[in-house]
Amino acid sequence: MKWQQKKAGLLLAVLGLIGLWGIAAPSKAEALDASETVLSGISTPATDEIAAKGDPGAEKYGNASDIAMADAKKGLTLADIANQVGQNKVGINFTWTLICGFLVMFMQAGFALVETGLIRAKNANHTMMMNFMVYGLGLFAYWVCGFAIQMGGCAPIANLGGSFPLNSEHVVNFLGKPWALWGTKGFFLSGATYDVSVMVLFLFQMVFMDTTTTIVTGSCAERWKYSAFAVSTIFLGALIYPLFGNWAWGCGWLSQLGVNFGLGHGYADFAGSGVVHSVGGLTAMAVAMQIGPRIGKYNRDGSPNVIPGHDLTYVLLGCFILAFGWFGFNPGSTLGASGNGCLRIGSVAVNTMLAGCTGSFAALLYMWIRYGKPDASMAGNGLLAGLVAITAPSGFVNTLSAAIIGWVAGILVCLGVEYFDRVAKIDDPVGAMSVHGVNGLWGVLSVGLFADGRSNYGGSWNGVAGSVTGLFYGDAGQLVAQLVGIATLVGIIFSLSFIFNWLVDIVVGQRVSAKVELAGLDIPEMGALCYPDFQLKAADYSGGSVSGAAASSALKG
Amino acid sequence: MRLIGILCALGGWALSVAGLFITSSNNGRILIACAGIAVSLYGSLGVLNGYYLERAIWKK
Repeated sequence: MKWQQKKAGLLLAVLGLIGLWGIAAPSKAEALDASETVLSGISTPATDEIAAKGDPGAEKYGNASDIAMADAKKGLTLADIANQVGQNKVGINFTWTLICGFLVMFMQAGFALVETGLIRAKNANHTMMMNFMVYGLGLFAYWVCGFAIQMGGCAPIANLGGSFPLNSEHVVNFLGKPWALWGTKGFFLSGATYDVSVMVLFLFQMVFMDTTTTIVTGSCAERWKYSAFAVSTIFLGALIYPLFGNWAWGCGWLSQLGVNFGLGHGYADFAGSGVVHSVGGLTAMAVAMQIGPRIGKYNRDGSPNVIPGHDLTYVLLGCFILAFGWFGFNPGSTLGASGNGCLRIGSVAVNTMLAGCTGSFAALLYMWIRYGKPDASMAGNGLLAGLVAITAPSGFVNTLSAAIIGWVAGILVCLGVEYFDRVAKIDDPVGAMSVHGVNGLWGVLSVGLFADGRSNYGGSWNGVAGSVTGLFYGDAGQLVAQLVGIATLVGIIFSLSFIFNWLVDIVVGQRVSAKVELAGLDIPEMGALCYPDFQLKAADYSGGSVSGAAASSALKG
Repeated sequence: MRLIGILCALGGWALSVAGLFITSSNNGRILIACAGIAVSLYGSLGVLNGYYLERAIWKK
């Protein structure tokens, strides 16, 4: 009983103290004047102690003394802490975005290996060098004008601290609606765009553009003139990619379909199934169509022959590198890991992983059931197809949808390869048109179907409040926006790519001579063999490998 | 022939966008957008590719 009385007394005393503190404490308005609120009495570890003994337990580093003070005489204030918190948030987001960008940059190695492994050894130097130089050529073109056209008028990106200098967009009014067409600020990253936030955005966007340019080199391998490749790549990085990038990501007209026409949240493409992969795949189709098939690909009656690649180890290793890099591609597209719903990076990463796995599984099963063998190169392409397809919806869907999207992509890539080889007769040595073109479009469409309305990136997307929601969750308008995006890709982007590469064909000439093609492009085009110590010999395609056998039966029907 | 293919591809896009002004119904817009995509694909894979297939290297 005494104990209970004592306890009650103690409780009353504590409550009284709290009440007194409430009366004596500064009002809310006063507390907000953070610059004047000096925080005293915070003890920090003695520096001489750390100097003498070190800090092996990591208990002393990282304390109040690490916070920069605006006025050392005044001491540490709440404003100093608030500023430090803000800088930490931006610092976390800068670091996240940059590291993800570095991962995406490393995808170039994956693309180089996949493409080189899928072509013949006599063209290995040429294909490797195309993959190598898209980095330099594309980057240069993007720095000169591509970035400005794409992001020169984008809205401030809160996660990166604002990116305020990118504030100039060319807009025309047509049929009573504003149509934002291209950005006009950031050429050469000069003037006000010499800004740390803009630099982070540039690096991340640049490596995405680079992915697009490397898609084309695969489809046109083994017969594309190196000079034509160089001119075509520069144009793609300087104009075509940035144009669609602006319309989708740079506050362009597609992204504003929600604001201007009430179509969901406008065209939504989280990480670039459309912007990156479809643009690359459709450009690849435009160029491959003009260049024509490799000598020996088709017989006189139009039936296709299999021309197997020279190294499956390259192909599968490349696929793994790409799958690794995709963890930068998709989760990195939040442009941060702190604030505005960025913690959804976990969900984005799992969706990415799942769709890649189901894509690979579906392609493997398709080939196994249809042709009797589990084809290695198509399993690899299935993995990439799943990853391409989930790129646009990765930030908006749940795991079940991600698995379905990947599964469908795995089947689509097999059907796509068969269609282009047998029906359209557009020779694509690596299957890039099916992997990136077809599945890029599927990814864009799947946002309009599967987006579950549960994501929340700062309360709005493309200027429309709420979450992106697809047809299956109640918003048919989002599907319309996605379809208009697809129409833009197959209508405008394909046509632009076709017209420009037509001009390149007239001026430079797209295709090497038959003599060069038969000899292999390494010596005539590049001046050096990739494998000088090996004697290269054409193999019998009819059954030398599992891949060859499955592919051979696939193509002979 | 190539110009016709390009015009066809561009026309498909124009049809899809025109659908946004023609009707305010989402079902109608979906139908028109799909028709536009089909026209564009016909222009690229049908007309343009047909032109190149007629002159294909393996037919020579």
